[in-house]
Order: sequence, then structure tokens, then C-alpha cells
Amino acid sequence: MMLNEQEARELLARYGIPLNESRAASSAAEAAEAARHIGFPVAVKALSGKIVHKSDLGLVELNATNPGEVILAAGRILSVAREIDPAAGVLVSAMAPPGVEVIVGGKRDPQFGPIILFGLGGIFVEIFRDISVRVAPVDRAMAMDMIDDVKGYAVLKGARGRKAVDLEALAGILVAASRLMMERDEVLELDMNPVMAYGKGAIAVDARALVRD
Amino acid sequence: MAGHPLSSLLRPASIAVIGASRDPAKWGCKVLRNIVGNPYKGKVYAVNPSVSAIEGVACYPGVGDVPGGVELAVVIVPSPAVPRVVDECGAKGVKALCVITAGFGETGPEGARLEERVRERAASHGMRMLGPNTMGFLNNAIGLNASVVPKMPPKGEISFITQSGALGLSLVDWSIGSHLGLNCVVSTGNKADVSEADLLEYFEEDGDTRTIAMYIEGLKDGRRFLEAAKKVRKPKLAIKAGMSRAGARAAASHTGSLAGSDAVYDAAFRQCGVVRVEGVGEMFDAAMALSTQPRAKGNRVAILSNGGGAAIMASDACERRGLTVPELRRHTKAGIARLLPAFASVKNPIDTVAKSDHDIYRDALRALIDDDGIDCVLVIYAHGGFTNPEEPARAVIDALRDKCPKPVVACWMGGREVGDVARMFRRNRVPYYPTPERASEALSALIRHYELGKAPRK
Repeated sequence: MMLNEQEARELLARYGIPLNESRAASSAAEAAEAARHIGFPVAVKALSGKIVHKSDLGLVELNATNPGEVILAAGRILSVAREIDPAAGVLVSAMAPPGVEVIVGGKRDPQFGPIILFGLGGIFVEIFRDISVRVAPVDRAMAMDMIDDVKGYAVLKGARGRKAVDLEALAGILVAASRLMMERDEVLELDMNPVMAYGKGAIAVDARALVRD
Repeated sequence: MAGHPLSSLLRPASIAVIGASRDPAKWGCKVLRNIVGNPYKGKVYAVNPSVSAIEGVACYPGVGDVPGGVELAVVIVPSPAVPRVVDECGAKGVKALCVITAGFGETGPEGARLEERVRERAASHGMRMLGPNTMGFLNNAIGLNASVVPKMPPKGEISFITQSGALGLSLVDWSIGSHLGLNCVVSTGNKADVSEADLLEYFEEDGDTRTIAMYIEGLKDGRRFLEAAKKVRKPKLAIKAGMSRAGARAAASHTGSLAGSDAVYDAAFRQCGVVRVEGVGEMFDAAMALSTQPRAKGNRVAILSNGGGAAIMASDACERRGLTVPELRRHTKAGIARLLPAFASVKNPIDTVAKSDHDIYRDALRALIDDDGIDCVLVIYAHGGFTNPEEPARAVIDALRDKCPKPVVACWMGGREVGDVARMFRRNRVPYYPTPERASEALSALIRHYELGKAPRK
């Protein structure tokens, strides 16, 4: 069974993984209220464990800058999402500033048990499948090695005059994900896609978890 | 090795072949012949209720009727009879089983249930079991061929664990043809009990094994393999067949679809220091280098060749595999320049411009080994027909006579006329290859083995 994003976020937060601030809402008005709490701009997404490909269905609205935009976006998303899952809500999240996108994930392999994945986000992972994998548990040294392993490592180290990202912060997320996979037997698959990496710090801005029924 | 739980299986003092047969077409006959037709010195008994002797071996109606003790039972009876035979072996005090009989888990759910019954019974008697559905094993160290393979391979230091029986068979034949030595060959069959992990632990302790080669289709317990392999310091090579993503479930997450089975095997092998190779030829090329040569400290290769073309091809082949062919120290270059005509190149790769005299090859090779900017040496001789290929080969052997601290591999290019060199090199533990590509691939495996042995970067 797929957890909804809010549940998946709570799971990650318990392992100390930094996330952008988010609030669940069940109506457009509640969404606007949540946005006021968080501060603008915000992202509005469908919140349902039954909807896997939110962005493919147009159920993600980024950069809503005022309550009016949030109400409009949440209303539209809710009406489409509830045709698929009548219990669907929306998740309002703080817009994360742009950074280098990476993916961190975990899965339970039939032969080796918990494994951890790291990759560069966006086209690097979609087209080039530029990833590195380790059988958990992953410690800090192994996590740094995993990061070093991807072909796009130069991008993280700050190629062509760009600033290097906080590799220690990324390693910390990998180690936390490993601990989660080792301790939580019921978690089958885990995605943080993307994690935004910055010069200082890194935060997961999307979360997905498949758990045993 | 006495005391290791698998030594009763692989180094038994006595063997009973249960289901031995007089019919030369049957495995019960072939396996018995293989056991008695080789130098194995232990006691051998045949078990078959309807005959009194087979191949000159005394035959008993049941394993319980055998007068002496039985350490290993090789079982070749029809599958429904196996559970009963296992119980009889247990009652007799047999220590280990090699169940060649097929018709178990590989046939479907009913066979799988029978296999589970056999496994449980063997375990309840405290017996370790190879198979079922194994082609058996052979152990050159004690001259034992307890397998369906008709011939023993030459003695060597490589032990081979194979999940495919047929591949194991063909490989033994291939090793005979290529003069590659093997210590043990073990066909794992269905792995109801003994798995790759157990065998890795055994071969790590086995004084006759230097390199462990594996053919793996699928591991039953990957984590147990990982933990066992991490503790093995000897070089380990593996072919993992079945890379296709067919059958993979549609994944709910990106991680699920990205980290397919093959990527996970890659990661696991790397974490436990197993060098993954693509094919059988590549594996044994690498095993030859790993069994005979010291560890490579790095990836800097010096190339010595009597021809420019072969030297350039070798450089390319090395660089394609992530090795470097760096500039030599000034002192090395000066030393080699003194050996060669003035117009010869003393840049790495070194081209001796057709010179392959004994002393030139020996002294140039020594100079390269002494260069502290070089980690390993690839020596090439391209046969033009006007020089004797054995002369530079002897030079390599002479240069390596005193324990050489760095790996050296040889590449002798030619056909029939370089044939005798292969034997010379093998006798003197020099890894030898017919092409620069194969030589550089073997060097690359040596270097990967070294790199995997290092702790991860902090």
C-alpha cells in the first residue's frame, strides 16, 4: 500500500530527514489557510495514497503566490483527484528555493534485503540512469563513496564555476534512509525525488513510500 | 582443512556411491568409474541391492551393510527414493551427502516439496548436503573426481563454484585444452543446503586454493553471501548471468524501477570485493593472473614490446580499461636506452624495434619492475617468424625468478610457433595471453581486486 505524501513525510521526519514545511488540507479554504501559515510562495499537490503519478495527471501546482491562487489551484486539484480517490486532500508545501536536484531512495531487494539508491535528479536519472546503489546498512564513508560514484559527481562538486553542494548533508540523508530501511521492515520502497541540495544543507521536497499491506 | 564442516564433503576419507550401476550409460556407473579411476586414496564402496561388485568395487545392498565407516555418500538413486536413502545414511553415521539425483525444486512445486523433505532429513542427521541436482565435484588436491565429468583438469590453484552443471562440464574440458589448472570444481545444483557462501568460507581456509571463481545465476540468500564474501581475502571473481530486466514487477517508485536486480548485484559484489567479469574466458584469464601474481598497488602499467603495433594496441587496450601507461623515470629510460639501438623508443610503451634477445628482454623488464612510478608490467612478443619466441619467454621467466614484487603478465602473439611458450609460462607461473586485449583485461581485474580491497573513501 502506498502511503500518502503527508504520511511518508512524517515517516522520514522521524529519522531526522529535513523536509520543506507542509500542511494537509481537505478543502480549498483550508489550503489557503495552510498557505498563510507557511508563507508564500507555496506548492499545492494532490494528497492521496491511490494517486501515484501526480504531475502526469496535472495534480501539482507550483509557485502559488497568494491565497486566491491557492484556492483556485486547490479547488481544481481536489475536483480531479476526488474522481480517482474520494478521500483525496491537498498538501500545501513551502516552495523550496532552486538547488541541485538529486534522488535518494530505498527498496527491499528479494536477494539482498534493504538497498539504498542515490542519483542525480532530473534528466540525469530519467535519461542517463546515473545512479549508484549499495546494500544497506550504509555508513557515512559509504554514503560519500556512493555520491562520488555517480557520473555527474562533477555537477555536485560545482562544475563550471557553480558552487559545490553540501555533500555532508546528502550523506546524512543517505545514512538516515539506510537506518529507516534497516529498522522499518514494513517499508518496501522509498523515494525522495527530488532532494534539493544547496551550498549549505539539503531538503527532501517530495516523499513516497510503499509499505506492506 | 580437517574440522571445517565441508571437509567431510570435499575431502572425505571414505565414499559410498549409492545407486552405483553396471550400465555404462548410467551416471551411477560413470561417477563410480570417475572415483576409482583417479588417484583418490580413500576407501570406496558401491551400494546396489542387485549386484555384488561393480568396476572391481565391492557392492553392498544398503549403505548400512557397508563394513567400514562412510564419510561421504554420493547419491544417484531415483528422486522418490532419496529421502529414505538420506535416513539410511544418517543411521550409518555418514557425515556429508552429494545428491546428484535430479527431479527436485527445478521441476516444480511437487519437486520443491520433496527437496525440502530431503533437506530437513539431512539436517536432522547433522549431514551437510551438496545438491540435489548437482553434477558433483572434483578435488585435485586429493585426486578425487566425484562428478559426472569424464576427465580431471590439470592441477592448479583456482577453485570454481558453478551453478550450472553443463557449464562446469564444458569448463573442465576447456581447461584441459587450455592447460589451465584447477583445484576444485563444485557444481552447486539446487543449493538446498550448501551454497556459494559455505563454499567461499571453505576455500578461504583451503591451502590449495588461491583464487575463487564463481558462476552465479541467482543467490538464494544474498545477505549471507555478502557477509561470507566480505571475510574472504583471496581474490574472488564472478560471472552473474541473467541480467535482463524481464520479470521485474512494475515498480511503484523510481527507486524500484532504477535499482533493478543487476544494479543490486553489481553493488553487492563491489561491497564484498568480488570482481565481476562478463564471461568464462575473461574469468579464467583474470584467475590466472590473480593466482600467480602479487597484488597490484595501482593502475600504472609499463609495456615492453618487440613491435610498435602491438605496443600501441596494448596501450589503447589498457587505457580503455581505465589503466594508465605513464612516462617512465629518467633513470629507467637511460637504463633501457643503453640496451637498445639508438633509434629505438624508450618511451612507455617501449618498442625494442624487433629486438627480442634474452638479455635485452630480461634487463629491460627488470628496469621496468624497479621503476617506482610503475605498478605492473605487460610484456609483449609479436612473432615475426625470424626470431625464436622461447628466447624472450625465458628472459621473462629469468627476470621473475627472484620473487617479483609487482605483477607481470605476458602476451605472446602468434599461432602454432608460439605454442610451446604457453607450457613454459604455465610451468613457471607466468600468466600468458595471446592478445594484448586479453592481457590488459586480466591486468584490469588484478587492479580492480586491489581497489575493492581498500576501505571506502572517507
